[in-house]
Amino acid sequence: MLLDLDFDVSTTGLSPADVPADTYHRIAQFLYREACLLDERRYDDWQSLWTSDGMYWMPRVVGQQSPFDHISLFWEDRMLRDVRIRRLEHPRNWSQQPPTRSVRLVGGVQVEGVDAGGNLVVHSVFQMTEWRKRQPRQLAGRYTHKLAAEGDSWRIRMKRVDLVNCDDAHDVFEVFV
Amino acid sequence: MSYTEEQLAAMVRGDSVHRGVYTDPAIFDLEMQRIYGRAWVYVGHESQVPKTGDYHTTRVGDQDVLMVRAADGNVHVLYNRCPHKGAKLVADGEGCVGKFFRCPYHAWTFKLDGSHLGVPLKQGLEGTSYDPADPSFSMRRLARVDAYRGFVFASQSKEGPALVDFLGGVRSSIDNLCDRSPVGEVEVAGGIFRVMQRSNWKVFYENLHDTMHARVTHESSYAAARDEAKEMGEMPLELHIMDGNGEPYEFWEKLELRAYDNGHGYMEGIFNPGAAERDPVSRAHFDTLTTAYGEERAREILGMNRHNTVIYGSGSPHTVFQQFRVIRPIAVDRTLIEIQTFRCKGAPDGVFKRAMMYANVINSPSSNVMPDDIELYNRCQEGNATRGGEWVSMHRYHGSDRSDADGMVSVNGTSELPMRNQFRAWKTYMEAGATAAGAATGDSTCC
Repeated sequence: MLLDLDFDVSTTGLSPADVPADTYHRIAQFLYREACLLDERRYDDWQSLWTSDGMYWMPRVVGQQSPFDHISLFWEDRMLRDVRIRRLEHPRNWSQQPPTRSVRLVGGVQVEGVDAGGNLVVHSVFQMTEWRKRQPRQLAGRYTHKLAAEGDSWRIRMKRVDLVNCDDAHDVFEVFV
Repeated sequence: MSYTEEQLAAMVRGDSVHRGVYTDPAIFDLEMQRIYGRAWVYVGHESQVPKTGDYHTTRVGDQDVLMVRAADGNVHVLYNRCPHKGAKLVADGEGCVGKFFRCPYHAWTFKLDGSHLGVPLKQGLEGTSYDPADPSFSMRRLARVDAYRGFVFASQSKEGPALVDFLGGVRSSIDNLCDRSPVGEVEVAGGIFRVMQRSNWKVFYENLHDTMHARVTHESSYAAARDEAKEMGEMPLELHIMDGNGEPYEFWEKLELRAYDNGHGYMEGIFNPGAAERDPVSRAHFDTLTTAYGEERAREILGMNRHNTVIYGSGSPHTVFQQFRVIRPIAVDRTLIEIQTFRCKGAPDGVFKRAMMYANVINSPSSNVMPDDIELYNRCQEGNATRGGEWVSMHRYHGSDRSDADGMVSVNGTSELPMRNQFRAWKTYMEAGATAAGAATGDSTCC
C-alpha cells in the first residue's frame, strides 16, 4: 500500500486550469473547512473528504521529489490515517493526555493547474499553533492539495505539507498538520 | 555539587539507582567527561562521507565533531574548531570542503586530516612562537578513531580497549546487518530523522530492552492496528509491526536478553518478518543471499531474528529493518535521537523500501508508537524531579542473572538484567574517571 509506486506525487508540468471566481471561492472554503475539521478533531468528517486512494504526505527535506526513496515525516494512506485516528481516540493514548489543541490559519490560496490525472492542484500557506502540556509550538509552511472533482465539490487525492523547518530536529507529530 | 568516588558508587545499588543520576546536571557533566570522554562512541557511517573532502558533523558527548574523508581514503574525526580564534570550521550538517579546510574567519587552512596547512600573510607571525608543526596550531583529532565494517567510532581517550574488544558480543549485530547485503556492505540512505526528547539519555537505553512496558505503554497503538486489521480482514506488514507490542506477558517471558560488558546487549526479535517465505520481498532477499553465500549461510543470516541491540553510549542498531537509532545526550533532561536507515548494497530494492516503510511507521517523529514512549520518559524525568522518593527500582529477577562465556543472560525475558548491566558499566566508567581524573579529555597531546 505505502509501496504503491505508481501514485503520482508530482505537481509540475500542469495544464492550465480555468477557474471562475465562484469556483475559486468554493475551493478556498473547502480548504478552510478541512483545516477547521482538524482543529476540532472531527477526524471521521475529515477522512470523508478524501478519495479512497488519497495520500497524506509531509516531506522530510526541502524540495523532496519522492516518498519512495527517501523517508518522510508523514506518508500515510487511508489505512494509516485510520490507525492514527483510532489511536488518538483511544482512552489509553498516554501522549494525548491532555490532547493536543491546535488552530490553523490558511491563506494565499492559489490554483496552480491540472495534473495528468485530472486533479486540480492548489497551493496555500498555513500557520498552525499547537499546545500541549505547557508546550506551545508554531508550525508554518505550504500546503499543496490535489483535488479530484466530485459533483460540485472535491475530494482530496493528495495533501502535501511542506514545513518551513522540515529538516529540523523535531518533537513528535501526533496530529495531522 | 561535586561528587566523590564513594558518593558516586553509593548512587548505584545492585537492585536500584538513585534518582539523581537522571536529574542532576552535575552528574550529566561528569558523564560527558567520564563516559562520553572515554568510551568508543559511534560517529557515523563511512558511506556518509563517500568522496574526498566530504564531511558530516555530529556530536560525541558534549563535543561538536566532524567526520571527514581524506584524499588517501581514510576517514578522520576532528573537533569542529579552528585553533586560531576557535570558530567552528564548518556549519552543522554535511557538505564537501574540497581539498582542505579553510576557516571562514581569517582563512587559516588545514589538510583533511586536520593538520596545519597555512595562514595568510605569514610574515606577521615570524619571530613569534607560532609553529606550523606544533599540534596546537592544527585542528585536533579525537584521540582514537576506528571503524568496524564501515561504522566509524571515536574515543576521546588514548586509553582503553580496542574497538573490537569494546563492542564484544554486540559485534554480531553489526555483522548481521552487513551480512544482509550480498557483498557484505551497507550504506546510510534515504535520509535521517531527528527527534528531540525531554528526558535523560539513560532512560532511552533502559527502555530498549524493557519488555514489561510494551503492552502497557503501547496499548493505544497496537489496539488501533488490531482494530484496523479486523475491519480490513487482513494484517499488512505496516500493522503487523505495530501489533507486536501487544503480545501477552507469557510471550515476553520467553524472550532471551543478553548483556555484555560496557553496558551493551541485545534482545531477540519480537516478530519475524523473515518467516515470510510467503512474502515476495523476503524471498527475493533470500535468493540473492543464497547466490552470494549459499543456502545454509543465507538461512542463518536471515534467520537471526534480533530486535533491539544496545551499543551503550552510541545507540541501538536494528538489523532486520536496517535502522540505527543513534542516541545523543544534549542536557540532563534533553536527548536527541538520530535515526539512520541503511541500504544493503546489492540486495533487491524492495528490501530498502521495506526499511524505509519501517522508519516511516515506527521511527518517524509522526510514528504512532514512539510518542507514548517519549511521554513516559518525560514523566519519569518529571517524577524523578520530585521529592516523592529517592530510588528507582531494577528489582525484577535481581539475583538470578546467569553468567555465560561472554556476558550474562536473563533467566526470564522480563528481567531487568539489561538495566542492571547498564548501570554496572556506568559505575565502572564513573569511578574509574574519578581516580584517573584528566586522563579522559582535554589534556590529550595526541594528533
